[in-house]
Amino acid sequence: MINPLDTAASADAERLSPRVDLSVAIAFFLVGAAIVWQALNMPTFRERQGEIFTAPGIVPGFYGVIICFLSTLLAGRAIARARRGLGPTATAAASEGLLGLALVALLCLAFAIGLVTRLPFWLASSIFVSVFILVFEWEKSASRASRARLLAISLAIGLIAGVAISLVFERAFLVRLP
Amino acid sequence: MFESLGLFGAALVGFLTPATIFNVFWATFLGIVIGALPGLTATMGVALMTTLTIKMDPSQAILVLICIYVGAIYGGSRSAILLNIPGTPASACSTLDGYPLARQGLAGRAMGISTSGSWLGTLFGTLCVATFTPILGEFALKFGSYEFFWIALFGIVIAGTLAGGDPLKGYLSGFLGLFIATIGVEPHYNYPRFAYGSTDVSGGISLLPALVGAFGMAEVLQAMRGPAVQAISNKLDSVIPRIGDVVQHWRTILRSGAIGTFIGILPGLGEDTAAWSSYAAAKRASKEREKYGKGSIEGLMAAETGESACVPGAIIPVLTLAIPGSAPAAALMAAMFIHNVNPGPMLMIEAPHYVYEIVAMLVIADMVKLFFGLTLVRPLLWVLLVPRERLMPIVFVLCVVGSYAIASRVFDIYVMLTFGMIGFVLRELKFPMAPMILGLVLGDLLDKNLLRGLVLSDGEIAPFFTRPQSAVLASLTFLAALWSIPSFSAGLNSIFKRRPR
Repeated sequence: MINPLDTAASADAERLSPRVDLSVAIAFFLVGAAIVWQALNMPTFRERQGEIFTAPGIVPGFYGVIICFLSTLLAGRAIARARRGLGPTATAAASEGLLGLALVALLCLAFAIGLVTRLPFWLASSIFVSVFILVFEWEKSASRASRARLLAISLAIGLIAGVAISLVFERAFLVRLP
Repeated sequence: MFESLGLFGAALVGFLTPATIFNVFWATFLGIVIGALPGLTATMGVALMTTLTIKMDPSQAILVLICIYVGAIYGGSRSAILLNIPGTPASACSTLDGYPLARQGLAGRAMGISTSGSWLGTLFGTLCVATFTPILGEFALKFGSYEFFWIALFGIVIAGTLAGGDPLKGYLSGFLGLFIATIGVEPHYNYPRFAYGSTDVSGGISLLPALVGAFGMAEVLQAMRGPAVQAISNKLDSVIPRIGDVVQHWRTILRSGAIGTFIGILPGLGEDTAAWSSYAAAKRASKEREKYGKGSIEGLMAAETGESACVPGAIIPVLTLAIPGSAPAAALMAAMFIHNVNPGPMLMIEAPHYVYEIVAMLVIADMVKLFFGLTLVRPLLWVLLVPRERLMPIVFVLCVVGSYAIASRVFDIYVMLTFGMIGFVLRELKFPMAPMILGLVLGDLLDKNLLRGLVLSDGEIAPFFTRPQSAVLASLTFLAALWSIPSFSAGLNSIFKRRPR
C-alpha cells in the first residue's frame, strides 16, 4: 500500500526543519481555503442562463481545493518527520545575513516605489546605484582616504549607470522609461 | 526534405546582413556575460531583453533573444569551472567536474570541453527542432480542448515531479502559479476575479514582469545574501578543444544530446534537469565512474551537452503547442506573442517557414557562441570579478525598466516587486520556481480548455478520459504524479529490473 505521506522528501526538503515545513503548509492551507471561500462567493450568472460549470469561481475553486489537499499532505509529512526526529531542529542558518537582506529589500523598494516616477529616471537610478554601493562597501573602507575614494567611485558608477541606461533604452531602443 | 532544406537555406541567407550579424554578435556576447555572472540567469536575460527589443523588427528581436538564451546557458559554465559557482542554475552540474579540473590546472581544457560539448549539444537539439517540429505540429492539430487541458496539467505535474527538490512543493508551486493566472477578467462573463475593484488587477498579471521579478529581483536578493565571490586563478592552459576529447566521447555526446533535447520538450523542466539527467546517464554507462566528481572529462562533456541540447528542445513545444519547455523558453514565447508571432499547432499551417527561421537563428547563435567560447577568455575572466555590490543595483534598475517598458504601466513594477519577494521567500523555503512560472503560463490554456471541454460535453467529464489521446495524456499525468511517490517509483523500477527466469 502506498502511503501518500511518504511523498519524496528529498535532500533539499531534509535541510528544512519540520517546524518550518509545517508553518509553510499551514500558510498554504489558509491561502487555499481563502481561494475556495472567495470562489464560492463569486456569482454563478444563473440569471443569464449560465451553466454551473461556466461559473467564474469553478476553476480557482478547483485550484484552491488542490492547494488545500497538497498543503495537508505537506503538513502530515512534516509532523511525521518531526515524530521520527528527522531534519534539523534549529534554523540558525536561516537567520544569517538577514540584516543585509532587509537592507537590500528596503533600498530596492525605496527606489521602485519612492524614487521612480517622482524623479527623472536617470537621476533616480543614479541615486539608487550610488547609495547601494556606498551602503554595502562602506565597512570595507577603513580609512578616511579610502572612504572618500569609495564615495567618488560610487557617485561615478551611479551617474554613468543612470545616464547610460536611460540613453540606451530611450535613444537606441526607443523604449519609454518610468 | 528538400523543401525543408530550401526553407532553412532561405532563412539563413536572409540573416546574412551586416545589421543582423552585428545584432547576433552583441546579443550572444551579452548572453554569455549574463550567464557567466552568478546571480544573472538566462530567464532574466531573455525577459529583460524582450523589453529592449520591443521596437525591433520581429525576426530581429526573436533572433536577439535566441542568441541571449543560447549564450547565457553556455556562459554559466565559465563561473562553474573557474569559481565553483554556477552562473546559471543549469550549470550547477558542471561544477562537479569542471571545478576539480580547474584545480588540477586544467581550467583551459575544461572550458574547451564545455565549449565543444555545448556547441555540439545545441547543434544536435537544433537538428531535432528541424526534424520533429513539423511532425509534432501535425500531431498537435488533432488535439482538442480535452487534450489541451491534460497537456497543461501534465506540464504542471511533470515540472513539479522533476524540477528538482521536493515534488510536493513543486506541485504547490505549480498550482499557486495556476491560481495567479486566474486573477483578472475571466473569459466567459468578463467577471473580474480577485480584483477587489482595482482596474489594474482586472487586467491580470502579465507574465514578463512576473518573470523579471521571480528571476531578476529574487536573484538580486539571493546574490546579496550569499557569500561574496572569491578571487580566481589567472593561470589558464589552452582553451582550444582537443579533437580526441570529442571523438573519444561521441557516445556520451549523442546520448546527452538526446536526453537534453527530450527533457527540453517536456514542459517546464529546463536546462538544469537536462544537465543532471545527462550526467547521471553518462555516469551509469561509464567505465570510469570513480572519476566522476573528481574532474571527469566525460562527466563535464555530458552535463554541457545535455544542458545546451535542452535549449532547442525547449523551443519545440513552444512552436508546436505554445507550451514552454523551460523558464527562458516561457519568456521567449511571451516575446513571440508580443511580436505577433502566434506559436502553437496552427504555426505549421500558417507560417511553416518560421520554424526554419528559428532553426537558422539557433545555428547562427551556436556558431557565434563557439567563436566567443574560443576567443574571449580573458575579458570574461575580468567580468567575473565585478563585485556584486556594484553589479546588483544596476541589475535591479534594469528589472524596473524591464517590467515597466512593455506596457508603460507602473503597476507592472509592483507586480515585479511582489513576484521578486514571493520568489525569494519560496526559494528559501525550497520551492522550485519553474512550476510556478509554468502555472502562470499555462493557467489561461487550462482554464479555457477545461470550461470549453465541459461546455462541449454538457458538463460530462467522461470525454476527458475516454477519447484516445485524452486517455493517453491523462494516464501520463497520473503516472507522473505517482512517480513522485518513492514506494511507487521503487516498485516500478524493480519490475523493470527483474530478470526473466
